[in-house]
Amino acid sequence: MSDVRVDHVWEVFRQEDEGDPMVHAGNVNAPDEELATHYAREFYGRRGESHRLWIVARDAITELDDPDLLKPPFDRSHKKPGGYIIKHKLEAAKQRALTERGEAGE
Amino acid sequence: VTDRPPLTPTTRDALAELLLALADDEFIVGFWDSEWTGIAPMLEEDVATSSIAQDEIGHAKALYELLADLTDDDADRIAYARDADAFRHASLLNHGRRDWAFSSARRYLYETADAVRLATLAQSSHAPLAQLATKMRREETYHLLHARAWLRRLAEAPSAAPRLREALVELWPDAADVFAPLAAEDELIRARVLVEPMVALFAVWQRRIRSELEPLTGVLPASAPRADGRTRRTDDFRWLHGEFTSVVRADAGATW
Repeated sequence: MSDVRVDHVWEVFRQEDEGDPMVHAGNVNAPDEELATHYAREFYGRRGESHRLWIVARDAITELDDPDLLKPPFDRSHKKPGGYIIKHKLEAAKQRALTERGEAGE
Repeated sequence: VTDRPPLTPTTRDALAELLLALADDEFIVGFWDSEWTGIAPMLEEDVATSSIAQDEIGHAKALYELLADLTDDDADRIAYARDADAFRHASLLNHGRRDWAFSSARRYLYETADAVRLATLAQSSHAPLAQLATKMRREETYHLLHARAWLRRLAEAPSAAPRLREALVELWPDAADVFAPLAAEDELIRARVLVEPMVALFAVWQRRIRSELEPLTGVLPASAPRADGRTRRTDDFRWLHGEFTSVVRADAGATW
């Protein structure tokens, strides 16, 4: 059946329970959305393991994997929240709050 | 504890005939379609077809168990220890799987007929059957969508369309036999085990699918369920029967 096309890839995301995050499950080959939905159901839902599936044509996904954009060559530590020593400041603030509450209660 | 009166022997026998017909249909369509495991047109379809075939055999198992409860028999014995001539599936299921277009045409004809039949069985006065039919309908809805998707795909494919058309025309008269009259049908209607006679269900089914099929096949001839629609057997079926009983026959009476 050479005229049945099989060259479309559909990425499948699944949710285990209402409210859970959608997690990439894998992908299926299918010629159209209808069969992609059937196959996604067979591969990622037929044992009752999924609450919801998202079936997305791979062509519809915009991919960004440019290392220049995602892993820039320069030191980026100044853009991370780490490196600030605030432990003692936090403790002092907590103490102050406790004292103030104590005074207000008297 | 039940507020229903126990079944009379007459109703029980009529119900047993109905259950056997239903179970054999599901069992045999499941076995034919399981023949595609490993050789379907693509891997994804292989898994889908195999899974649907398993669903059908699962439905057959549940129906054979209902029957076994009713007649104090054993589901495995009914399924695997009968002669080919004792099977009561519709003649639509007498054909081998042949090519993908043929199997797809058969699945479409069977699933559409089964959908009409299950809708009625879900209203059966026999509660265990009504409950089972309701459960089966949830799975059969998906089977029907799948069968319809393939009908459309093959109809649109220039190399497949003629084969599909030929298969539909060839199977058309046999498809009516899914609604072949049962010997004790009057009793089933009287007891409301069946709320509509088979011939009425047949009319509903034909009306529903002619509009879908005829753009593809041209006008289909008149057909009608035949009195021997569930007792005709073919060499194709005898071969399949030999296959699905081969393991059981290899060591009769073994505990598996």
